[in-house]
Amino acid sequence: MTSEERKWRISRRGFLLGFGATAVTATTAVAIGTKIGLTDYRKSLARETVLENELPEFEAAPGFWTQPDTWIEITAENEVKFYSPKIEMGQGVLTALGQVAADELSVAWEDMEIVQADTSRGMNDWGGTGGSYSIPTMYPMIREAAATLRALLLQEASKQMGIAVDELEAKDTAVIHKTNANQYMTYGELIQFARNWEVPAERPTLKSNDQLTMIGQSIPRMDFEAKLLGETVFGYDVTRPNMLYGAIARPPTIAAKLRSANEGMAMAEPGVQSVIIDGDFIGVVAESRMQAYAALQKLDLEWNEGKLWQQAEIDELVTVGNGLKIVIQEGGDNVNRLLRDDDPDLVAMELRTPLAAHASLEPQAALADVQTDSAEVWMSTQAAFRERDLIAEAIGHDPESIVLYPLYLGGGFGRKLNSGVGTEAARLSQMAGRPVHVGWTRTEDLQNGYFRPPTHHLLRGKVDGNGRIQAIVHETATADVMLGLPSSQMEHFLGIDSGIYRGATILYDVPNLRVTTYKVDLPVKTGPWRGLGLLANIFAVESMIDALAHQAQMDPVAFRLLNLPDSEIGLRLKNVLEAAAEKANWGESLPEGHARGVAISLDVNTVVAEIAEVSEENGRIRVHKMVAAVDPGKVVSPDGVIAQVEGAIMMGLSATFFEEIRIKDGRIAATNFGQYPLLTMKEAPDVEVVLLESGDTPYGIGEPPLGPVAAAVGNAYFALTGKRITQLPIFNQNG
Amino acid sequence: MKLTVNGQIVEVSNDPPRLLLAVLREELGLMGTKYGCGAGICGTCAVLVDGVAARTCVTPLSAVEGKEIQTVEGLAQRNEEGTIVLHPIQQAFIDHQVPQCGWCMSGQMITAVSLLTENPNPTEDEIVEAMARNYCRCGAYVRIKRAIGDAAQMMNEGGTS
Repeated sequence: MTSEERKWRISRRGFLLGFGATAVTATTAVAIGTKIGLTDYRKSLARETVLENELPEFEAAPGFWTQPDTWIEITAENEVKFYSPKIEMGQGVLTALGQVAADELSVAWEDMEIVQADTSRGMNDWGGTGGSYSIPTMYPMIREAAATLRALLLQEASKQMGIAVDELEAKDTAVIHKTNANQYMTYGELIQFARNWEVPAERPTLKSNDQLTMIGQSIPRMDFEAKLLGETVFGYDVTRPNMLYGAIARPPTIAAKLRSANEGMAMAEPGVQSVIIDGDFIGVVAESRMQAYAALQKLDLEWNEGKLWQQAEIDELVTVGNGLKIVIQEGGDNVNRLLRDDDPDLVAMELRTPLAAHASLEPQAALADVQTDSAEVWMSTQAAFRERDLIAEAIGHDPESIVLYPLYLGGGFGRKLNSGVGTEAARLSQMAGRPVHVGWTRTEDLQNGYFRPPTHHLLRGKVDGNGRIQAIVHETATADVMLGLPSSQMEHFLGIDSGIYRGATILYDVPNLRVTTYKVDLPVKTGPWRGLGLLANIFAVESMIDALAHQAQMDPVAFRLLNLPDSEIGLRLKNVLEAAAEKANWGESLPEGHARGVAISLDVNTVVAEIAEVSEENGRIRVHKMVAAVDPGKVVSPDGVIAQVEGAIMMGLSATFFEEIRIKDGRIAATNFGQYPLLTMKEAPDVEVVLLESGDTPYGIGEPPLGPVAAAVGNAYFALTGKRITQLPIFNQNG
Repeated sequence: MKLTVNGQIVEVSNDPPRLLLAVLREELGLMGTKYGCGAGICGTCAVLVDGVAARTCVTPLSAVEGKEIQTVEGLAQRNEEGTIVLHPIQQAFIDHQVPQCGWCMSGQMITAVSLLTENPNPTEDEIVEAMARNYCRCGAYVRIKRAIGDAAQMMNEGGTS
């Protein structure tokens, strides 16, 4: 993939789409034809993807700002509305992007209104909200759009007031005379002349760092008051006049196929308006949610249960050596020679992580109102345009005739990138002829959709007498992550799954190394879960690094500092490692029965180091404190970043200790939180965060802090007991 | 049957028999109380029934006949000018920038108010024990705990609710 393909692509409406497309590269592959061997091609494509994951570069292409009012609207009443294409799911993106716009455009914060853009209002955000790329991708674009608008406002003010532009400044939603504040025009007054404006060909000058007053500040979240008053409308809450509730019949096993379906006694049930049977899409629409679910039980459905998969079979499939093999990192000529089974100095490790559910507290939810030639859908979704297009396909309408309103989400975590519920509500509404709300139960949410795939890791390594890693190999088997989202046939054929590679590569300066991924097909759907492969891969790699440090009889922090490269990334990793160690008082004494462990990671160009302090009471590990040092490039909102670090650590701990989806007799065994418990305040440790910054570009923060969690805990446990944790979750439900 | 919801007497039918959560949300339009699991585990559905937190997803309507129910919508008050005066728990949750997605917040605050009504000066351990059955998937536990401690102080210093 060339740097050209990393830039912004112009859509047919002249707006920008997301960055770097596998689809584009796949087309290139077809054009190249069979001259390049498939294995080598996969290898080089995978490496480009790894590079992109770790060091994404975003550069706005010329021409995108021709319509800066896509996002920013100025009213005659001097209010400024920012339409965010990125969706708020708790990560604070609305506030953060709003403050970027307000700062560059010189809008007083109280004049700023931030709203969620719907699909009728550009820009087509096919990628959706996730991947830790909302701020990295939007930050440069919003600043350029805002700076362009500011320049146009200044120009118009100069014309209207008869004062030279360099004697004017934009400040607090107005253009004022630099030396006489009584001479000014508000943006609201100036915007009336906008139809005469021509966007200049040259790119605008952005404010310098010392001119910024909001970027870099912790501005209170604009959505909190409404949320705490109970006024916010989430996807599960939305109501419309004349609405009904829908419930979908779910297959009884993961491999089930419908054999026959008829209404049975469902239509006679109280409140039922209609029963929909369309192939294997079966649902009931009723006056209340309870009535819809009750009537489902009265349908006459027969299923072939299909193969009754057991967990052991899944585990056998997800084993290194099975499936599509791609070498995603390699170096040196002596890997095999240095890592021989008969070498007493060989360090070898095997680790496993399970299937996991997203378990956002708000289950999947949408309300659809389908008319003959149009439709409106209100939904908890991370990907408004993808959902709109899937709905269009399902109901046979033109996508442009559908407006999808993404609402606030009660958690997304990657599951709502392809929820499925929008299509369900739309199909029911189309057949029922009224607006229909579908809100999944917890059981449905735990058993349908896609999961974080299981992983299997085999690592081998060796250190020399000076504490330097001589060779290291990481092999990992897993199932679809990004390819679990709707993808083209070509994408599936090539099998390049950027999600799998997150965190899998070796960050250290090792002369001989190889990282190989294996991707298998599973009978359950898998897909992106916060961090994608990151938590599992860092668990594996950083546990191995810890074991090598132990082999070298070196302190784990010192060992890492010694083996990290002197590259820019290496230096940033060393900085966070040292900062975390200092904050955690690494090396100083701890209370009796406590120990510390450390782990580091790189993800989306953000570096993180975490140190866990653990003890063991009555055979149960307890995490007392997590110290995290994070360098996400430039920080837009310090408190926003800290909140994401805290939250990601808690989710990582939940996955480390509790979370496991198991397959039993062809079914997802968990029916509710009783069988899939989450971390509670009881297990939550104290968290301390050190924020470092580097450079002028913000990188992502939603996922990176998940990376080191499991490894830091495992490494702390090793320091405490000499026992190596190699399987998650630690509190295994099955003993 | 009659019940009082946020100070207002409402008349609801218990035919067919329903859970309190469905009545609050679908019939009374009080969407602030949330559905999370339907099994009383996650706590997002909690409201105050005669001042004590109850999980509405497992509370039949018949169980609250004649009782006083307070939902999240009833926590804040309006003063004479009509401005909103936040409950100390809401104020503390804003001061500490507690929420992330916000779905669990109603249940968290209701459970906290229930605790502070019963125990106005809880220790940190007592806060944890009382809040240990309220999930927050976004992981805002550190700030929830901090904010509850702060709210306790505010309420003891005579902060108006």
